Amino acid sequence: MADLIRKTTETLISAARDRLPIAPLAADFGDRADLDTAYEIQDEVTKEGILRGRRPVGRKIGLTSLAVQAQMGVDQPDYGMLFADMEYADGASIPADLLIQPKVEAEIAFVLGQDLANEDVTIAQLIGAIDYALPAIEIVDSRIVDWKIGIFDTIADNASSGLYVLGSRPVKLADFDVRLCGMVTEQAGQAVSFGVGAACMGNPLISSLWLARRMAQVGRPLCRGDVILSGALGPMVAARPGDTFRVSINGLGEVNTHFAEGNDT
Amino acid sequence: MTSELSAVAKRLDHAIQSATATHQLPADQQVDAATGYAIQAMGVELRQQRGERIVGVKLGLTSRAKMEQVGVDEVTWGRLTDAMRREEGGTLVRADFIHPRAEPEIAFVLGRRLTGDVSLAEAALAIEAVAPAIEIIDSRYENFKFSLSDVVADNSSSAAFFIGGYARPDTDIANLGMVLSINRRPREVGSSAAILGHPLRSLVAAARMTARAGHVLEPGDIVLAGAATAAVPLASGMQVEAEVQNLGRVRFDVR
Repeated sequence: MADLIRKTTETLISAARDRLPIAPLAADFGDRADLDTAYEIQDEVTKEGILRGRRPVGRKIGLTSLAVQAQMGVDQPDYGMLFADMEYADGASIPADLLIQPKVEAEIAFVLGQDLANEDVTIAQLIGAIDYALPAIEIVDSRIVDWKIGIFDTIADNASSGLYVLGSRPVKLADFDVRLCGMVTEQAGQAVSFGVGAACMGNPLISSLWLARRMAQVGRPLCRGDVILSGALGPMVAARPGDTFRVSINGLGEVNTHFAEGNDT
Repeated sequence: MTSELSAVAKRLDHAIQSATATHQLPADQQVDAATGYAIQAMGVELRQQRGERIVGVKLGLTSRAKMEQVGVDEVTWGRLTDAMRREEGGTLVRADFIHPRAEPEIAFVLGRRLTGDVSLAEAALAIEAVAPAIEIIDSRYENFKFSLSDVVADNSSSAAFFIGGYARPDTDIANLGMVLSINRRPREVGSSAAILGHPLRSLVAAARMTARAGHVLEPGDIVLAGAATAAVPLASGMQVEAEVQNLGRVRFDVR
């Protein structure tokens, strides 16, 4: 089993490096393709990244739509690691040679001003720990060919994370409606995806609370300065070379990203 | 020709009154959209003869997704009567309808006359109040299937509506989060931006399209701007609630 996890870890790392997607992973694990094993693989990929100098800066939460959870046959979201090298500035161009099959999601990012070490962290503590929120674009990507993912594949593959872009004007929780804020995503000037805070498990603070507790349970608690990408507010959109995306979240402002046509950005 | 159109209007009106579906116009008898609107006007006249009063209009096919679904590039409109209005917080009787569906919307109440080609600014100035709303659509056609002219003749599927409390006319409505909940659980989520990119554009379209048919939007008229999400089929026992950011909520029970 340890060998298989080791081999799968290497396969995922080289797939990301070479941008060569791989077959779904679950079949290799037979009846041991459970969530614990999937997170074990994700942890191995994380450790390997840290050994190679990648710096963890937060988490992303995935599967926050109840409809998507139902599709995947689970009743909980999932999480993946954010590393410093995954962050792109608001409006910057993303080189075409970084990703395999990117898709764009509009999210609310929370930045923590305090550690959240307790396994039984409360919603009040979470609210108190959030320094500010930012509008965010999460660029998801899958190392699995044609996004043919099941729950096991996506968790092992760092919750299908790719890159992320944060807006540049911090907003306090008290100053916008985190549950009912409207969201519109424009692709090349056309509005293509619509949503609302409540699309993320009823409230992005609910997914974030799940994450905070889960991270404390597994011994890697959320810390001051960590970024939480709390989950999609609307349907994801496939990105094409040359695309520009603008995400507007009511009360939080806008965040933009551009996908370069070639590698010279 | 007029008697044929009138026969279609009567058949649709009977479908409304008996809550039973009827058939679309056969493929070889399909009419253009303008003729569809003529049938709609005849049908609404039948309602007026029964004492109903026109209180406003509704816009339909206001999202790109729906336009593509029906294969058109223009919104549709229909007439609202006082008999279609239901009390907010009240009940909707399932048996009064064929296959009703609920859509979360934004409603405008006009403070001024608005007709013809108007600018966004003129439309904004004509608004007396905005409110959260739920429209009940109930195509009178079997299986909710129709062509553009079919649905226009059928008063753009409009069947009933609920309107919540009024908010100030200068409320920013460009990108309001909207949630339609069934039995207190969110079922459909979206943003008012899904309504033609900005719900005010619906009001501009309403002024233009109704004028074409000689209909004028008057002070006090209600304009339902169009759906922000997919419509949810209704069943007895459902508690239905729409929430709109900054505007509040509107709810009813299905009996």
